[in-house]
Amino acid sequence: MATTEKTLEELEQEAIDSLASSGRRTRSKLFYSALGALAFLAVWAYFSTQLEPYVLPSPLAVGVRMWELIVSGDVFINFGSSFLKTMAGWALALALGIPIGLLMGRYRYARAFFHDFVYLFANVPLLVYAVIAIIVFGISPWGPAFVVMLEAFTGIAINVAAGVESIDRGLLAMSRSFRRSSGKTVRSIVIPSVVPFLFASGRVSFANSWKLAALAETFGGYLGIGFQLEKAFQTFSVVTLLSWMFFFVIFVILVERILIAPAERKVFAWRDPAGARERVS
Amino acid sequence: MSDVQAVVRGRGVADIPASLLAPPKRPWWWWLTSDRAARYTARLSFLVVWQWAGSTFEDIPTPVGTIEFLIEEFQRGEVFPNVAISLFRAVIGLSLVLVLGVAIGIAMARWWRVRFFLTDLILVGITLPAFIWALLVVMWWGFSNIGPITVCVVSATPQLVVNTFQGATATPGKLLAMSDAYRVGTRRQFRWLVIPSMMEYIAAGFRSAVLAGWGAVLLVEWFGNDKGVGFRAHYWYDAHSFEGMMGWGLVMMVIILTFDRMVMDRVVRHFRSWRTGGQQWSQ
Repeated sequence: MATTEKTLEELEQEAIDSLASSGRRTRSKLFYSALGALAFLAVWAYFSTQLEPYVLPSPLAVGVRMWELIVSGDVFINFGSSFLKTMAGWALALALGIPIGLLMGRYRYARAFFHDFVYLFANVPLLVYAVIAIIVFGISPWGPAFVVMLEAFTGIAINVAAGVESIDRGLLAMSRSFRRSSGKTVRSIVIPSVVPFLFASGRVSFANSWKLAALAETFGGYLGIGFQLEKAFQTFSVVTLLSWMFFFVIFVILVERILIAPAERKVFAWRDPAGARERVS
Repeated sequence: MSDVQAVVRGRGVADIPASLLAPPKRPWWWWLTSDRAARYTARLSFLVVWQWAGSTFEDIPTPVGTIEFLIEEFQRGEVFPNVAISLFRAVIGLSLVLVLGVAIGIAMARWWRVRFFLTDLILVGITLPAFIWALLVVMWWGFSNIGPITVCVVSATPQLVVNTFQGATATPGKLLAMSDAYRVGTRRQFRWLVIPSMMEYIAAGFRSAVLAGWGAVLLVEWFGNDKGVGFRAHYWYDAHSFEGMMGWGLVMMVIILTFDRMVMDRVVRHFRSWRTGGQQWSQ
């Protein structure tokens, strides 16, 4: 059944994790990582001397521009705006995805009913989502939030369904025979089984929702990182575009390290993190 | 003596009453709850809701209107040339992705120096959204074939690299040890163990690379090109035709979903089939 198969995004995340966590970071390994970054900068710097500055500015010029953007506070305003939109979309996706996932995990009919939707919404090109955002909402912060919801709820629904299927039926039967109230059963059996799955889906599709929110802002926004990129594009400023590009990378990595990694440790504290998905099959 | 007891006592089949041999009685609406019925109900209700939304809100195109638009676009002769040029770019780009991604992935698994040299660059490459590259190459090269192909390569290769790397490092250790014990030659080990176990990961990685690469080509065409599916969608965006955008959005989706289901899904299944019995052979 579809719910026990890993989605493409999850396979991808596993592969990324296996690369990112391969081996301990000894001094010589750090040396080669630094060498990689330096080589990249060197190639860039070389080409920037060969080409006109408006085609490819030097790394130094981009660094200066980034500093200006930090000092003026633009970075924080725009990232805050994009972050809020992504989170609003996520809240909507949870509100839609959890009930659907519960139904899919519990009823065969619901699983067949939503099967096609889940496949469809997970594989639509991001451009199509961005187009839908401007069609439905025009220039408004709700467009990005809405499409983030459409994109993210499928992963949530699949994982909640897998979580429901993983619930130990013996435990449920036991709590029935010991006359536990259903509220207590839900709190101590259903929720602990489902939450790790929910979290796995959240972590996997987070990066994608972020990209989608920025893309939708490029099309119809007046604030946010996507809008800033669009502005740099319209004014033909490669320097500004590259600065925002690096801010984007930095921000995604920071959110991953500061928000997601500690939360993940907390959620998976009682359970082997890698095994959450395997237990279903 | 009840009917059931008669059966249990082992009398002849002729003695079993017809009421036990008949299939269990199902209510008349049983076929409405079958899986297939559920799927068709879902599709139908999706179309009905879309049509309702389209006819209620002025801005949202209806499915009927979108199909009518696409028929007109076919008659104008715009569909086939634009689809062909987009497919051409995607095929070139994805061929490059396949070669580069597999080569880099294997190199990273084989030599640890290469791995640590490239790890951070690859991870950053995965983080960067394709549309930023798209804006950049449109500024650099304008209307051309180089732009879409470049972005396709730059944004889809890292995904194939990480998957290939995972496949190359996850060869089943127990089976390799057993082949050593039974003196199976290196070449045969490679042919029958290493390559099959890697192909599974490469196929899965290429599947997501195809999705990413197609999206990248479309984005570049949207932001600055004079041909292709993405360009055509942008053309109707400029003309404020929501039906036009929706119609071309539908074309983009149909192409990628058909390819994903008809080709990539089967390829992935084919390369996974040697591992019948699930994960039991991996280490």
